[in-house]
Amino acid sequence: MGFQGDFFQLLKDQGYQFDIPTPRFGEHGQGALPPITQGTTVLALKYRDGVLVAGDRRATAGNMIMYDRTDKVLEIDRYCVMAIAGVPATAFEMARVLEHSFKYFRRSQLQDLSFEGKLRALSKLMKENAPAALAGTGAVVPVFAGYDHQHGCGKIYFHDILGAEFEAVDHAVSGSGSSIIRGIFHYLNRWSGQPIAGLDEEEASIIVLRLLASAAEFDSATGGANIESNLYPIIKRITEKGVETIPAEQLKTLFTTKVAQYV
Amino acid sequence: MYDEPYRWVEAVGNRRQYLDEQFRQGSPLVAVSYVDGIVLLTTSHGTPKLYEIYDRIGLGGMGHPADLEKLRFSILDMAHTEGFQRSPGDVTGSRLIKYGMAPAIKQAFEEIYKAPYITKLLLAELGNLPNQDNFYTVDYDGTFEEHHEVAVLGATPKSQDTMRAYLKEHVTPTMATLQSVLEVAVRAWALGALSQIQDNENSDSSSSENKETQASNDSISEEQILEHLQNGLKDKTLECAVLERQAPGSSKYRTIVQQDIHSLLPFLHPTTN
Repeated sequence: MGFQGDFFQLLKDQGYQFDIPTPRFGEHGQGALPPITQGTTVLALKYRDGVLVAGDRRATAGNMIMYDRTDKVLEIDRYCVMAIAGVPATAFEMARVLEHSFKYFRRSQLQDLSFEGKLRALSKLMKENAPAALAGTGAVVPVFAGYDHQHGCGKIYFHDILGAEFEAVDHAVSGSGSSIIRGIFHYLNRWSGQPIAGLDEEEASIIVLRLLASAAEFDSATGGANIESNLYPIIKRITEKGVETIPAEQLKTLFTTKVAQYV
Repeated sequence: MYDEPYRWVEAVGNRRQYLDEQFRQGSPLVAVSYVDGIVLLTTSHGTPKLYEIYDRIGLGGMGHPADLEKLRFSILDMAHTEGFQRSPGDVTGSRLIKYGMAPAIKQAFEEIYKAPYITKLLLAELGNLPNQDNFYTVDYDGTFEEHHEVAVLGATPKSQDTMRAYLKEHVTPTMATLQSVLEVAVRAWALGALSQIQDNENSDSSSSENKETQASNDSISEEQILEHLQNGLKDKTLECAVLERQAPGSSKYRTIVQQDIHSLLPFLHPTTN
């Protein structure tokens, strides 16, 4: 019966291999691991009307900047996104598998996959990927966020590299700039008198831009906004209506008035 | 028994008769391309007969639900592995039908020791513009045809011709609203259903050789169509789906919910208010 709507199993049956056997570098005199492209920093937070998920645009390999226009907030379907930190090669492939899996489930089973089902699908891929993650060639640490229609609310989950999932109460961060952001989150929620969960979309977006600017300030692997090139972080909002990207023009206005020269 | 060639031909002939008989009570299916997309329309008894296949591809069928499900799964598998391994742009209706469905259906039809698929399929593929929309129909013997603008499935050739002629006459390229397209589509469907009923009666009474009365029965009036729509649909569900050209995101297929069908086609329920 169509593998009960399991697209990943269908792919495997047709000879597709997700987990490529990975050599362990540094053992038996094979030399050190070559620089691997990585992406950082991503975050998700709950605000008044739903969830905002954001990421900087930089991808690095060792000391080198590979790319400054990466979109790390990947839309998997209309109601969920996966924000990725780690190796993009693996993360993009995961996103592609998930996107097709969710569509295949809906079309074959004639019902939408539940939010828990989507989360489980990601955990399964993470588990398959564990050997590559441990070898250092394919570690991905995603933040998964979406709208849960069964419970009528936005949800955020974060993962470790082996695929354990943790539900975030109000925010989640991942990537090399995350420790910087976590401290600020803690400070804002505890002592600012304005917990982030109560902010409206504009206020929350300003916080997001400032957090990513702070991460870029102290973490060389996180890219900041680039006004000359008109490059800003990616911010997506998830509400009952689905996933929408906040337009770059809006981010530009917020950035120039509330982030760049705001004292 | 069938090892001699003429026996085989005879067996295939029997099979045609058997299959034609199976579709007699089936609900026709209508597909129309318009400015905003493609409309698919049929009726069902509970189990749906219209399906989403891929981002821009929808499927409708007539026949046995179990056979339809089997073929639907294999077309879904084909479309999704292709879309994943290559790209969504490489998943085309033409490839799915010509290299996937049609050969499988033909083989099942001609393997006279095994059961054939009791299905007729209609695949609708949404283009960027109305003149890029494609329709493919596959008959129970694997014969496939490509159509543009409109396409239909019906139990008999006459039913199909009647529906197609009606649609060609009433569908105009400037049709802009879903409602106007649905109004034509649902009438074409009723015409096809009535035409099938006539064909059934004719074939039942053909032994009594009443050829003259048959001819007078053949034209179906607008009143008969309306009457059939208001009374003939009582124990059935009118099923509608659209492939929407301007829909956000990659998936363009949407099922129209019953409530919306009723408000778009108020003349189906004149007594409710």
